Amino acid sequence: MKLKTFILKYRLWLIILPIAISLIMALPLKNARINPDLMEYLPEDIESKINMDKLEDVFGKYDPVIIIVEAEDILNQQTLERLYDINKKIKQSRELDDLISIFESKYIRGEDGMMLVDPVIGRVPKTEIDKELLRKQIKDNELAYKLLVSEDFRYTIFIVNIAEGVSDDVAINLIDKIINEFPGEEKFYLNGLPFLRDEIQSLATRDLAILFPLGMLIMIAFLYISFRQLRSVLLPFSVVLMSIIVSMGLMPLLGYELSMIAVLVPILMISIANNYGVHIVARYQEIRMHNPEWTMQQITAETISLLNVPIILTALTTIVGILGMAAHIMIPAKQMGIVSAVGIGFALLLSIFFIPALMSYMKKGNPKKYTNGGKSGIINKLLLWAGSITTASPRKVIIAFLLFFIISGIGISRLRVSINLESMLSSSHPMQQSTKIANEHFGGTKNLSVLFTGDIKSPEAMKNIEYFGDELEKIPLVKNVNSIAKVIKIISKALNDPGDEYYGIIPNNREAIAQYIEFYSMSGDPEDFERIVDFDYTKSLLNVQFKANDINDFYFVKNKIDELISQSEFAVLQSGQPMVEIEMAKAILAGQIYSLAFALFAILGLLWIIFRSIRAGLLGSLPLLMSIVCNFGLMGWLGIELDIATSLLSSIAVGIGVDYTIHLFWRLKQEIKNGSNITEAVKTTLSTTGRGITINAFSVIIGFSALFFSGLFILKTFAFLIIFSILVCLIGALILMPSICVISNPKFLK
Amino acid sequence: MKRTILITAALIFLGMIANANNPRDIAEKASNSIGFTSMEMSSTLKIFDNKGNVRERQVAVATKKFGDTYKTMIRFLAPADVKGTSMLIFDYEEKGDDMWIYMPSMRKTRRIVSSEKGRSFMGSEFTNANMSKPNFDDFNYSTIGTETIDGKEFWKIESICKTESIADEYGYSKQVAYIEKLSYLTHKVEYYDRYNELQKIMTISDFRKQSNGVYFAYYMEMNNVQNGRKSVMTVNLFQLGSSLKETDFSTTSLEKM
Repeated sequence: MKLKTFILKYRLWLIILPIAISLIMALPLKNARINPDLMEYLPEDIESKINMDKLEDVFGKYDPVIIIVEAEDILNQQTLERLYDINKKIKQSRELDDLISIFESKYIRGEDGMMLVDPVIGRVPKTEIDKELLRKQIKDNELAYKLLVSEDFRYTIFIVNIAEGVSDDVAINLIDKIINEFPGEEKFYLNGLPFLRDEIQSLATRDLAILFPLGMLIMIAFLYISFRQLRSVLLPFSVVLMSIIVSMGLMPLLGYELSMIAVLVPILMISIANNYGVHIVARYQEIRMHNPEWTMQQITAETISLLNVPIILTALTTIVGILGMAAHIMIPAKQMGIVSAVGIGFALLLSIFFIPALMSYMKKGNPKKYTNGGKSGIINKLLLWAGSITTASPRKVIIAFLLFFIISGIGISRLRVSINLESMLSSSHPMQQSTKIANEHFGGTKNLSVLFTGDIKSPEAMKNIEYFGDELEKIPLVKNVNSIAKVIKIISKALNDPGDEYYGIIPNNREAIAQYIEFYSMSGDPEDFERIVDFDYTKSLLNVQFKANDINDFYFVKNKIDELISQSEFAVLQSGQPMVEIEMAKAILAGQIYSLAFALFAILGLLWIIFRSIRAGLLGSLPLLMSIVCNFGLMGWLGIELDIATSLLSSIAVGIGVDYTIHLFWRLKQEIKNGSNITEAVKTTLSTTGRGITINAFSVIIGFSALFFSGLFILKTFAFLIIFSILVCLIGALILMPSICVISNPKFLK
Repeated sequence: MKRTILITAALIFLGMIANANNPRDIAEKASNSIGFTSMEMSSTLKIFDNKGNVRERQVAVATKKFGDTYKTMIRFLAPADVKGTSMLIFDYEEKGDDMWIYMPSMRKTRRIVSSEKGRSFMGSEFTNANMSKPNFDDFNYSTIGTETIDGKEFWKIESICKTESIADEYGYSKQVAYIEKLSYLTHKVEYYDRYNELQKIMTISDFRKQSNGVYFAYYMEMNNVQNGRKSVMTVNLFQLGSSLKETDFSTTSLEKM
């Protein structure tokens, strides 16, 4: 049975079945939830995550929120009184743990034969003299100055861990509430992963709620402007709606949690899933125009037989390109690849079966003026121009493209992989501001921990820890190193007088170290050490706080630590969020290469099979390659970093962009088969199929442009780049490809 | 007249009954039932973390009251690395404690001044507040019930810190003590944190009657139900009274020990 006969015979079922499937798939959507935990975007079995778990087992989960306070002078009475109230309230709330602040950290010192352990700020100074005395004390305090209070006394920080079982949003809302409870002139900024997660969560939720309807509205408007006919809007629109439901419903069904980039799925569907329907509608209008006497069933049958092959082929190549994301290492990219591919597959089936089945029931409708070769409209003018330039001076066109290609390509050398998670947010976002302050006034926002095992109280282990600290503090990027060795040295200064043999050093015998520690447990809080040494003193952590502007800074610190570990008999491993971030950067880069390689080769293979010519494969891949190079080049030139979202766009762009070449080749082949020479074929193709391709490309671009309204900066960048890539693919298909064809007149078109 | 006397007697009698049931009086009496002015003992302190790891400390303790001040000398016997480390504590009635520590590895005595109280005793779940007599004026007392455990009758006396700063000082907002009616011995104390949730349970047992007729507990256990940690103090040797002189409780003698 021929396809058109099949469709017309079972048309009722072909309408009911997809609607039923969509309704069923809508059900699991109520279980969908957004998981903003970036760490969970990587597989569990990577080394950095295993190491982090190891440390968490011993020292507990530490995932703090950092509150930065900006004031004229932190030591002003009014400021301190406000901060004292806030400190007290935070300490009292059971949702928040382990508060570190100027009111909680210790000032350990020796005075007149006494060791004194006090909070950094015990009471608020009321006079200028007391205030300046306190300032001097803080400057002397190694545990506070430049760590909790900035050098210029304009900033101070509170670090607070979220209690187990308390969600990010509850903790962040509570912190906001506490700050607002005590109004004042000081400014507060939040930082830390929980804050980032909370922000991403709320922005992504907002995006899902706003972008999807917005994208649909834009799409409807675009379709209406293009076709000026209700059915031509509703048919592609229904395909989009149903395939969004199927792809989004698939996520909870497969047990996936929605990631931040899952927001892209509906937009991707809006942009891509209507393509096939758009082609059918355009063809229908064309046939309707030229054959006014035909019945609707005849028109439908003709549309199917003319279009089903290129539609299936373009859909397949898009699916293959998008499946490239399944080869990505980042879990959300994989998941997105899979559900989007299924969604597009569904859209393809709908376009081939559902649309024609529905069309066959419709009345013929009024013929729409189809401007085949007409002179009006920007698109038509541009296409005419493209037709003449590609046929008149193809060599010049190729050279121009080559130059553009090279200039863009140079930019790739400047391309960098993102390591700063906060760059997902816009530069005006409070998180970015707080990071800037943390980097400028405190020890930076990056923390690495080195695990030491053995008899930690032995002078050998203690001195090795001290050596790590000394070596790491020589690196300008490193702003602070905290370890049990540092605490022992501070205690030794408090216990001994300057000039004593033990003053300010790690003692040479184990007993003295043990007695220092015992001593501290009498005077300070024994829990003060819990984050740096375990209960039986067999494991200890050294924490390095540093600034890293790019991955090279990261590697510099990491490599230095690796080098020290290789020389040490006590240090075992290093761990920390930056290690996971490095893995993430690696995963982004490798995932990018895998998915792109997969997409390119698969598409090349498909083109080879479709046109039974490797030349078709190579030639057809050319605009894609160009789009990839230009995209990365532009990112390099503009300083846009490769991140989890931008690392996906090339495979998506390639999957979409290849369609234009397929449509072009397909029509060229038809025209040549009908007796045209290559120049005529190019001109006709550009003014007919070229219009479809252009409308198609613009509908994709317009679909993605909804992302400009995203709250996540990373998705806005994504929108900009994918639009650029698609434009390059479009121009490549409409101008470069025809020029090459005119010069080479390839055999596979005959 | 006769009637008046009778009434007065009845009132006095009623007053006496009320007094015997006055929760503050019960608490004070319970506190005094284990009182002494001097003693010497050796004990073992075991500190368990929530995974069952244990740290053990053996100490020799001597306490004697001079005037209004209790003076205590604590010397570490084990583990080996802190053996010989000694502490001298002056517990004043009116002001915060004075504390010195001697570290044999450096042959050095240092005074420790810490503005915080209610803190951990030697890194254990016990706090200094748990180990010393409270100031009875700091609390509001009430009897919240009676209970019979193992055939013994107990009062449940609740003491709530009068102010937030008092709560901060003691490290708990209220405590519920199980005081045996017959002996006035406290067998159990529940400590509630500042959110009024149960945080720690102290169990006291192995009471042994001393020569002066008062009891002394040889076993104390503190369970932190919130973090799963536990500390156990057992008394190995106990002697009521001490032959030590006031000069023995000084920093110079600390270094000679």
